[in-house]
Amino acid sequence: MTVAATPGTAPPVDPGDAGPSPGTAGARRGRHTARWTAGGVLLVIAALVALLATRPPATATEVATPLLGKPAPSVSGTTLSGGRFGPSAYRGRWVVVNFSASWCPPCQQEQPALVAFAYHHRAPGDAVLVGVVYDDSTSSARAFASSSGATWPSVVDPGGQIALRYGVRGPPETFVISPSGTVVAHLDGAVTTADLDDQIAAAHAAGL
Amino acid sequence: MRPRPGLRASSGLVWMALAVVLAVALVFGVSSGRGPLTASQRAEAIDSVLKCPSCDGISVADSSASTAAAVRQVVLARVREGQSDTQIEQYLETRYGPSILLRPPTTGLTAVVWVVPLLAGAGGIGGLGLFFWRRRRPLEVRVTPEDRALVDRVLAAHEHGAAGQPAPPRR
Amino acid sequence: MNAALGHTGVLLGLVGSVAGAGVVVYGLVRRRPSSLRAGQIYAGLILLGAVVATVAMERALVTHDFSIAFVAENNSRSTPLLYTITGMWSALAGSILLWALVLSGYIAAMVWRFRRQAADALVGWATLVTYMVAAFFFALMAGPADPFQTVSGHVPVNGLGPNVLLQDNPLVAFHPPLLYLGLVGFTIPFAFAVASLVTGRIGEGWQVATRRWTLFAWAFLTVGVLLGAWWSYQVLGWGGFWGWDPVENASVLPWLCATAYLHSVMVQERRGLLRVWNLSLVISTFSLTILGTFLTRSGVIESVHAFSDSDIGGLLLGFFGVVVVGGVGLIAWRGDRLRSPGGIDSPFSREGAFLLNNLLFVLLAVIVLLGTVFPLLYEAFEHQQVTVGAPYFDALTLPIGLALLVLMAIGPALPWRKATAGTLRERLVVPAGVGVLVAVVSVIAGVRGIGAVLAFCLGGFAAASNVRQLVLAARGAHRHGVGAWRGLVGRANGGMVVHIGVVVIAVALAAATSLGHRAEVTLSPGETTTVDGQHITFEKLVVVTSPARTATEALVLVNGHGPYRPAVSQYGTNTEPVGTPAIDSNILHDVYLTVDSLPSSSGGPVGIGVTVQPLVTWLWVGGAILVLGSVLAAVPGRRRRPTDPVSAPVPAVADGNGAGRGRPGDDDDEPVASDDVVPPVTVPVGDLEDGRADERVPAGSP
Repeated sequence: MTVAATPGTAPPVDPGDAGPSPGTAGARRGRHTARWTAGGVLLVIAALVALLATRPPATATEVATPLLGKPAPSVSGTTLSGGRFGPSAYRGRWVVVNFSASWCPPCQQEQPALVAFAYHHRAPGDAVLVGVVYDDSTSSARAFASSSGATWPSVVDPGGQIALRYGVRGPPETFVISPSGTVVAHLDGAVTTADLDDQIAAAHAAGL
Repeated sequence: MRPRPGLRASSGLVWMALAVVLAVALVFGVSSGRGPLTASQRAEAIDSVLKCPSCDGISVADSSASTAAAVRQVVLARVREGQSDTQIEQYLETRYGPSILLRPPTTGLTAVVWVVPLLAGAGGIGGLGLFFWRRRRPLEVRVTPEDRALVDRVLAAHEHGAAGQPAPPRR
Repeated sequence: MNAALGHTGVLLGLVGSVAGAGVVVYGLVRRRPSSLRAGQIYAGLILLGAVVATVAMERALVTHDFSIAFVAENNSRSTPLLYTITGMWSALAGSILLWALVLSGYIAAMVWRFRRQAADALVGWATLVTYMVAAFFFALMAGPADPFQTVSGHVPVNGLGPNVLLQDNPLVAFHPPLLYLGLVGFTIPFAFAVASLVTGRIGEGWQVATRRWTLFAWAFLTVGVLLGAWWSYQVLGWGGFWGWDPVENASVLPWLCATAYLHSVMVQERRGLLRVWNLSLVISTFSLTILGTFLTRSGVIESVHAFSDSDIGGLLLGFFGVVVVGGVGLIAWRGDRLRSPGGIDSPFSREGAFLLNNLLFVLLAVIVLLGTVFPLLYEAFEHQQVTVGAPYFDALTLPIGLALLVLMAIGPALPWRKATAGTLRERLVVPAGVGVLVAVVSVIAGVRGIGAVLAFCLGGFAAASNVRQLVLAARGAHRHGVGAWRGLVGRANGGMVVHIGVVVIAVALAAATSLGHRAEVTLSPGETTTVDGQHITFEKLVVVTSPARTATEALVLVNGHGPYRPAVSQYGTNTEPVGTPAIDSNILHDVYLTVDSLPSSSGGPVGIGVTVQPLVTWLWVGGAILVLGSVLAAVPGRRRRPTDPVSAPVPAVADGNGAGRGRPGDDDDEPVASDDVVPPVTVPVGDLEDGRADERVPAGSP
């Protein structure tokens, strides 16, 4: 905030009713405009500095998704292997929806964790992993899926509409959805298997 | 510009004529060619106040990112369905949160960004006005004989470049 | 070896500034002129240290010395030489080094300029302040932001290369250094302002003496900001030049205060008024440069321009706090006592116009700062994110910009002290006619919207008024026998040219935004389409590979000439592809091309974004005129006789005061005689009686 920013105060120009001898005496007798303005400005600056000093780095702030606790938008469409995918495939089970792309390094990093998660939950069948292709060509997405050993269906998202319904800003983003169809968790960035299992466990304990 | 006597007399009329012409031009410029906005014009207007979700502050209208294209698609579809601007913006807020809007809403805490500049501006003008109002009394400068003598001394020194006077500094 | 050299340079600078500060403090406290003079020598040491460190860094970059972490992160073997050299300022630690280099240069220049007054306590205080600022920046480099930190572990074979957006346009070699020449330059007037307040010697003309330094820094900052806009336009691909990005705003905040200062200091030169206010403006300007540095480097705000977040944020914020507390504290302590006696007679005068000008610029600064910082404030209270973007800033700055255009038109025609409506009416009737004519022409040409039409109208008004001033000045100079060209140089006349430059920019902005058209077209190879009268032909796609970059270029013809090559480029293998635009500019309009979507199969149609904006070139032309004006303004005018009357005589005092010419408003028609006012010889009555030595003009000041 600038020194000059306080509204409603004229620049300290004139000593006011200086009387017949304008000069040092007159100037001293005048209003303490400078002092008051300076005090006000210091207060505002102190508040500003306090605010700035307590801010976390922008990259670390989590954007709380407005979808938390709300019904999850449906994920349906054609998968990379050509089949159809729809809500019937995951009704009544925990769903992990993962938006990723072949060109994004964190997506590449989290692939092993996702593979592990899918493997662990295949037998019990309680949780389903669904991928959504984010802004990628089908050929690149297919190559990426096969090279990383993905065993779960990846839905093609023409026009980015599924990503829009989920409010995805950039891959990788992962959503955990309860069997009742409510979004219980949103993870931004590369996830680990533990992250996913913890979120499911926590939501389960909370009775969601 | 030395004003010619004739021009001086009629300058008031000239100003009035100018004002009239300007008013006509402004009326034309503001109203004509407007007409009802087409769907794509409406959509573009809405796009320019929505932030591209995956970019750093560019509007959806300006960005070529995939998320921006997706938002444009949705906005156009909803405009064609007949939804209002507010409805469309609210829908996108339910997806992306309030940060999708580039223009902070005028209600709630964000009203501060709108109100403070207006208050500051009004306060500043008011302050200046007050300052000049208080100084309305003409600054009475009484010229005393001592003052005249002082001025004559200084004038004489400068006119004749008296020795011993400090040279005026070069700028 | 480079690291050792670099560390030596940084240490030299740090030791030089700390020791120099110590010597100067000793000289000030013990009142020893010899110590003060000795303290000046340390400026050379600081400069030497900065130069050595810079040479070390550039050498490390050019020789691809990847043992230094900074080089490993910002340079690679395939980076072209130009971008290797500019790599020094493409990341945080190196940018601090550039800041320190520019600062050392300025300090050395200041010490050299005022070497004959080295024994003066005021100069001593100013030198002390600059040494302390230099010490801070060198300390940053010695500690947290060490540019010469070596890589831990083994030395990598190849580096990562600079950020992709910083290696596809040569403007990266100009924008940051010019920006720093501007921002850092405000340190010198700040130092003198603090020195004036500390010593209480406000009336002497030191502030006026350093006005030229402020003008110099302001000109560089303006060029730096304009080049940044041009660079954004050419590189970022969205067809705009100013996005109200937080980092852009951070560079504009000090510019606003400096512009306000450059105007109100003229009131101080002419009438000896607003002294403390001007000091406040100078202190604000410098404080805002530090705040801007903090915002850019602390990671608190997310921006495409921001350097990665780091831990020097806290230190910069602390420094900002110290500067503000110190500066504002000095004003609180001294300000009331040092106000100028005498006042402004009438709001309807040039002083009044300058006051209004200041109010508007300060209001702009409030808006920009509030808008930039508000998301942080909101997040602190509501734990939700909100965006304050271009629509907000545009909505609020447009009316203020229009008001400033009006002031630019009326101000130069206003006489000092008191104006009458009749004077203004006569002087401005022709410019007003031009303005109305421009408004009519623009409406006929298709401009719609009250903001745009008014921008054209008021722009014409202001341009004509300023041209009128120049014509009168040239005529007056010719009549005085000093050559008509004299009417174009000097503070007032240079200012008129600067205003004309601003008007050109404003009109170009209005035209580009209100008459621009954007379209997205899908073209197969060989297909042509028309956008806003421009024929766009897509020829074919070409893949271009170079060591640093793989680009898929679309060859596009505009109206038959070209080919222009908008592309999608990838630097390295693991980075997201970035779009690079291609622009067909001519004097009338710009056709801006981007590749929006690549075909899914070869030979398929390509999505091309086409934006046609008129008069964009005039933005940069206007910028050039602006810079020309500031160069002209720096030329010293003829030394004016101090006894020449400066304003329209006020009736009550108009007897026998050397009023050689009696007609009201005459003097203002011949600005050539008004440059180069010797400061407080025309003191308000009464000061000389005080016996204060204040009002003596320092001998040998510029």
